[in-house]
Amino acid sequence: MIDTIANVLLQGILLGGLYALFALGLSFSMGVMRFVNIAHGDFIVLVSFLLLVLTTALGLNVFVALILVLPVTFAGGFLLQRFLLQRAAGSDVLLPLLITFGLSIIIQNGLLQTFGADSHVLAGAGTLQTASIALTSGIYIGVLPLLTLLTAVALVLGLDRLLNYTRLGSHIRAVADDVAAADLIGLSSGRVYALAMGIVGVTVAIAACFMGLNMNFDPTSGPDRLLIAFEAVVLGGLGSLWGTLAGGIVLGIAQTVGAHFDTAWQLIIGHVVFLVLFLLRPQGLFPKY
Amino acid sequence: MAFRSPSLAMLACRLALLGGIAVLLLAPWLFDSEGLAVLTQFLTLLVLALMWNLLAGYADIITVGQHAFVGIGAYAFYGFAALAGVNPYAAIPLAALVALVAAVPAMAIVFRLRAAYLAVGTWVVAQVFMLLAGKLPGFGFGSGVSLPIAVAQAFGTDPAGRYTTIYLLALGLAAVTLISTWLLLRSRIGIGLTAMRDNEEAAGALGVNIVRARILCFLWTAPFLGLAGAIITLQNLRISPPASFSIIDWTVFVIFNVVIGGIGTLEGPILGTALFFVLRAYFSDLGTWHLIILGVLSIVVILIEPRGLWGLLRRVLPGDLIPVSHRRAAAAGAVRAAPERFEPQPPA
Amino acid sequence: MVITPSAPLLAVEKLSVFYDQFRAVDSVDLTVTPGEIVSIIGANGAGKSSFLKAIVGQGGRVAGSIRFDGQDIAAWPTSRIVGAGIALVPEGRRLFPTLTVEENLRLGWDVGRRGGMTAEEVFDLFPMLREKRRVPAGQLSGGQQQMVALGRALLSDPRLMLCDEISLGLAPAIVNDLYALLEKINRRGIGIVLVEQDISRALNVAHRFYCFLEGRVSLAGVPRATGRETVMKHYFGS
Ligand SMILES: Nc1ncnc2c1ncn2[C@@H]1O[C@H](COP(=O)(O)OP(=O)(O)O)[C@@H](O)[C@H]1O
Ligand SMILES: [Mg+2]
Repeated sequence: MIDTIANVLLQGILLGGLYALFALGLSFSMGVMRFVNIAHGDFIVLVSFLLLVLTTALGLNVFVALILVLPVTFAGGFLLQRFLLQRAAGSDVLLPLLITFGLSIIIQNGLLQTFGADSHVLAGAGTLQTASIALTSGIYIGVLPLLTLLTAVALVLGLDRLLNYTRLGSHIRAVADDVAAADLIGLSSGRVYALAMGIVGVTVAIAACFMGLNMNFDPTSGPDRLLIAFEAVVLGGLGSLWGTLAGGIVLGIAQTVGAHFDTAWQLIIGHVVFLVLFLLRPQGLFPKY
Repeated sequence: MAFRSPSLAMLACRLALLGGIAVLLLAPWLFDSEGLAVLTQFLTLLVLALMWNLLAGYADIITVGQHAFVGIGAYAFYGFAALAGVNPYAAIPLAALVALVAAVPAMAIVFRLRAAYLAVGTWVVAQVFMLLAGKLPGFGFGSGVSLPIAVAQAFGTDPAGRYTTIYLLALGLAAVTLISTWLLLRSRIGIGLTAMRDNEEAAGALGVNIVRARILCFLWTAPFLGLAGAIITLQNLRISPPASFSIIDWTVFVIFNVVIGGIGTLEGPILGTALFFVLRAYFSDLGTWHLIILGVLSIVVILIEPRGLWGLLRRVLPGDLIPVSHRRAAAAGAVRAAPERFEPQPPA
Repeated sequence: MVITPSAPLLAVEKLSVFYDQFRAVDSVDLTVTPGEIVSIIGANGAGKSSFLKAIVGQGGRVAGSIRFDGQDIAAWPTSRIVGAGIALVPEGRRLFPTLTVEENLRLGWDVGRRGGMTAEEVFDLFPMLREKRRVPAGQLSGGQQQMVALGRALLSDPRLMLCDEISLGLAPAIVNDLYALLEKINRRGIGIVLVEQDISRALNVAHRFYCFLEGRVSLAGVPRATGRETVMKHYFGS
């Protein structure tokens, strides 16, 4: 009994690590650029397909492929912000929302057109996906989920250091504080936003790699990832990266507990727990703003 | 534009609008069942577009979850007509009522979120409603269920008559939606929202409680969306979570239509929805490309003119086709009245 | 007739600033020579802030020419203008409230010419900031915030500083300190454009002044050579 509870909680925490990975990029862009990228989940799925092509067509190890992809997604985020999203910056919320909404639909249907509707999973990481560690007789930890959670923690630490201890980080926080003031003193917000979106691109690639290794994905998986990511960010409190990690873990536990009783209810329980917690504590667990 | 004067262009737009209304009124005599079915789809999508536009264009509520109320309307209609044995005609307004009731708890969540968060928040709520609909016993769970023949036949025993009845229901719904929304926008509440949207200081001075006005708008849309859901169910003759709560059909297309046509006007949703059907007639065999084209088109349009195609037309036209604001109507009146001052005085 | 002693550092000709159709600044000519303090006075809404912002490439749409050190900078982006040596101390200070004092100061260095003063030298000028270096700028008093705003501009190593109403909302004693400091900065050869609503203060420190009225220069001259009544007449318009 105790073993079961411990196991469910543990698996929930591990799943939460994956959800936090989905959410960190969104958290960063919501905290810094104050906009919700509706296409966030679709970007993750898009990069997963890119990794799929690299691992299957070129036979690369998935982590090698990830390293190759990182500069691409950084540049992708940078250029997207610079040439598309920046045109909507400073206007009301409607424009960025509609543009990313349009992007979301374009990506989903572009992927459907190219890859069909089948679902896929990333391979090419050797025995990583099947290996596990036995903690006690009844409790096993998968090596991959553990690695996923540790990556999420490392990513939070890295982003936190970047924001608080680097020059770029202080520029990003300045722009998040007051865009107009940044522009007035010559700290061009467009450049800072573009760099920030490049960083989001890096987190998207990492999330895509671990999503593809941990679960099935198909061209229309994006919105579900977006919703989970959004819930993790809101639960954790806007602007707090550690909060986002906590939010992801709360959702992971909620879903695992739900699934323990009836797998068909896993998703509903996750959403309902989000809604209830949100009503009880709208500012989230660790609000910053 | 080949028109030499703005008033000629205006006249052309008026004629197009009147022509469209005439065609819709005479449609049962002009079209076969297939044509009526397409027009029914047009009218239901128009209702959805008008509602999304009311929220996003006036009440500052950008929702990505309006398919929830369409689905709730569909399921409620099925529940009353097929399961509870209520008269199918009576089941339609009951579906609207259920949608309205469902909007109340949804509001508690939605109104605690602002701006873009609100958008995704509505999506989460819609997702929950859809997943719950798939758990309802009696409604076919995840795969859905067909409407009993008896319910369908209550709207006409032969298919042709049924198509006509459903079409007339959709036409009535669209007319009521358009006229009541127009009246709402011209009321003090609507003027307050418009002023608020246009960032005018007058908004406060008008004494309109903006929060209450936004709540009213949110609740306002639910029954209309529910009615549209009931009519869609009548037409498709089945319900299922993915189809009745389809985000693509009842939200994505609708947003694209409103954005391309022109958000924040009454003409925009009409123009956008009409254009959508014209495009669909030509591009229906393009499959997924259809959505890609619409997505690109909507991004291009909002980057060029955030007020959409109607915004572009409006640069040529001297006024609105369906004037919403009294101020503009008054201004137009002043222009018309002005020449009188220069009329020669009648000899004494 | 004003005689400019050397080649101007800043030469603005026929500068107009538009917000949509509205002309906030109307054909203004203005020069600043190296090491000069030039005051701009004028009532609220006269277009002073719009003018300063236009020089650094912000705010409304501009027409006319802005030459800095001989180069036409009217079409440059703000970052390039600041990098060339013009720093704006914006109206209302506009610090970044969640950044620490030190981080706010460093921003000045990052956007500027990468030379001149260091943060430590700014702390020498404003000793009370030194102990607050790790405090978020939003928690400082108004006077301290103004010091950080000035320090931020100084760290960008400007050749020309544009100060917009630095005395606003501050106690007279603190304003005295700030003005003493401005003169000290000026003695280093930095040109200063000082926008003020407090006429007597502005005229006391300035070598020359311009009076703005409804977007136009209604009067320009040397403070000591201009009578009080004349200034008031052109300040309010008659
Ligand atoms: N962003 C803006 N948009 C529209 N009008 C503006 C804007 N900023 C200033 N104005 C107008 O321009 C005029 C000059 O303003 P400003 O330059 O701030 O004057 P001052 O600094 O002398 O008080 C005022 O009438 C003001 O209302
Ligand atoms: Mg000012």
